[in-house]
Amino acid sequence: MRNAIKDTWYTLLRYLRTFVHNPFWMLILLIQPMIWLVLFTQLFQSITLGFTSGSYVQFFAPGLIVMLAVFNANALAFRMLNDINYGVLEKMIATPVNRYSLIVGGLLYIAVTWVLQVIIVLIVSFLMGASVATGVAGVLLTFVIVSMLGIGLTGLVAALAVTMKRPEPVVLIANLITLPLMFLSSILIPAYLTPSWIQTAMKFNPVNYAILAVRPMFLTGFDWMAIAQAVIVCGAFALVAIVVETAAFRRFGG
Amino acid sequence: MKNIVETFNLTKIYNKQVRAVDDVSVQIEEGEIFGLLGPNGAGKTTTIHMLTTLTRPTSGTARVGGYDVLKEARKVREITGYSAQEAGVDEYSSGREYLTLFGHYYHLDDQTIRRRVNELLELLELTDAADRLVATYSGGMRKRLEIGTALMHRPQLLVVDEPTLGLDIQTRVRIWDYIRTLNKDGMSILLTTHYLEETDKLCDRVAIMDHGRIVALGTPNELKGEIHGDVVMLTLPLEEPDQRAKTVEKATRILVAQTFVKEVQPTDEGLNAYVDQGSSAVPQILHLLEQGGLTIGEISLARPSLDDVFLKYTGRTIREEKGKAVGARAAWIRRPR
Ligand SMILES: Nc1ncnc2c1ncn2[C@@H]1O[C@H](COP(=O)(O)OP(=O)(O)O)[C@@H](O)[C@H]1O
Ligand SMILES: [Mg+2]
Repeated sequence: MRNAIKDTWYTLLRYLRTFVHNPFWMLILLIQPMIWLVLFTQLFQSITLGFTSGSYVQFFAPGLIVMLAVFNANALAFRMLNDINYGVLEKMIATPVNRYSLIVGGLLYIAVTWVLQVIIVLIVSFLMGASVATGVAGVLLTFVIVSMLGIGLTGLVAALAVTMKRPEPVVLIANLITLPLMFLSSILIPAYLTPSWIQTAMKFNPVNYAILAVRPMFLTGFDWMAIAQAVIVCGAFALVAIVVETAAFRRFGG
Repeated sequence: MKNIVETFNLTKIYNKQVRAVDDVSVQIEEGEIFGLLGPNGAGKTTTIHMLTTLTRPTSGTARVGGYDVLKEARKVREITGYSAQEAGVDEYSSGREYLTLFGHYYHLDDQTIRRRVNELLELLELTDAADRLVATYSGGMRKRLEIGTALMHRPQLLVVDEPTLGLDIQTRVRIWDYIRTLNKDGMSILLTTHYLEETDKLCDRVAIMDHGRIVALGTPNELKGEIHGDVVMLTLPLEEPDQRAKTVEKATRILVAQTFVKEVQPTDEGLNAYVDQGSSAVPQILHLLEQGGLTIGEISLARPSLDDVFLKYTGRTIREEKGKAVGARAAWIRRPR
């Protein structure tokens, strides 16, 4: 167990060290959410009237936080494809390193980059006049729910990468899955403004459960029913993803 | 002597039809440098992957240091160091960071890791480049770093897949030196190669592998000794390829009929005749061929090489100069006894 924790820590550290060697990547990663925030709020400014609640920033900031988890889902897969291509993953699994640690360390790396991005989003949206109705507790609960969602998505794409071992099909399939997940949710516009079939589709989308729990915490207050549903759905999703990724890992190398 | 590696009918079949490794049973003794020699596709890498727990055997099993590769995979990983055919190095980290990561993955303590990293950087002559990104390393430096990652925990068994593939001769000689040094310190070594010279210079024992099977096994000298006597190498100077084939055939017929000639094998320039006693055979061969109306270009005498051994068991030669094995089918004509 001690070894498993250490293995996870050094795996995470290895991923994070990429930023030390490539500070420019770090910069892009942190600027990116600011661009989204400004771009989307400018783009959708005019439809603010349709909302029951405040400005579009207020509405979109929690959406962007969830959206970033979806956008980051591919990042780990690409690092892993790189490791597979260069034979690094093969070398690692020839050592006694804990297999789960390799997986969890990678997922934590994505979680860390996401948390950094969220902090940027919060700061910028505060500057643009938004606020979080439920304060620090709401932000922490947001971290929990969206982390589970992110782990689920990242794990599934990583499993795909470990199985396919090549970038092209992974990019295609990942886009095929992640983009609809984002659009078939109320990230960009509230559900009541969408056709009924989309509202039905949303019921099967873990991304939507996350946004339904997170948005009220920013706009009005805790919606415990939505939070409970989100924890169950996103938690189960994350577990399934870890199981699938572990299975893919086991098969790697045949 | 204890065995560091034992395989029992080890077999790997890919996609239900490719017999990459076919019923291999070998023992590798503790403290020896053991070479798996064979052309591309012989099944060397697959064998090594099964021994390092990277690939599951389709049937059969193997023990490394007494531990079963299937049931005690973790133990096997702890006592084995694996250096891959293609240097698997992380372009985003420095050489020092990469070695350190492997130190952690082998669960060494921080102080040991620091000491070991410095020792290995020194041994592999990477100290100056230690803090540079691996992306800037040359092929030879990457391969050395790759071997370094396998040595962090002083493994009982070092497994090196193609230690000098595609490297220039100076680097090759240096890597041979490291391997010898490690072996002198008591490390058992299993390497694969398709360079005959490498096996000849480095290995205590060699297994020749072809189409997934071990076709011959022994010390390089024992194997060469199986081809008794000497090799008389003849060139037959002829321009027309057609005519040359006929000439080679005619010369072969003449020589095979002699009792002192054991075997004859065509080569690119002419043919090789395997004889008991080179010194007495040369004048006789010259005489016989002249009588048969054939002109000889050059004639030379040599001890059998591993290439001859390889040819004998597989019917093909390993060509070294192209950097990869080219299997040229050549008939191995036996003298009827
Ligand atoms: N992952 C794989 N899937 C299918 N066939 C494979 C795989 N790996 C190796 N092979 C096949 O197995 C045979 C042995 O390959 P390999 O062990 O790499 O040989 P060597 O290392 O001696 O060049 C080859 O025919 C190769 O094409
Ligand atoms: Mg190979």
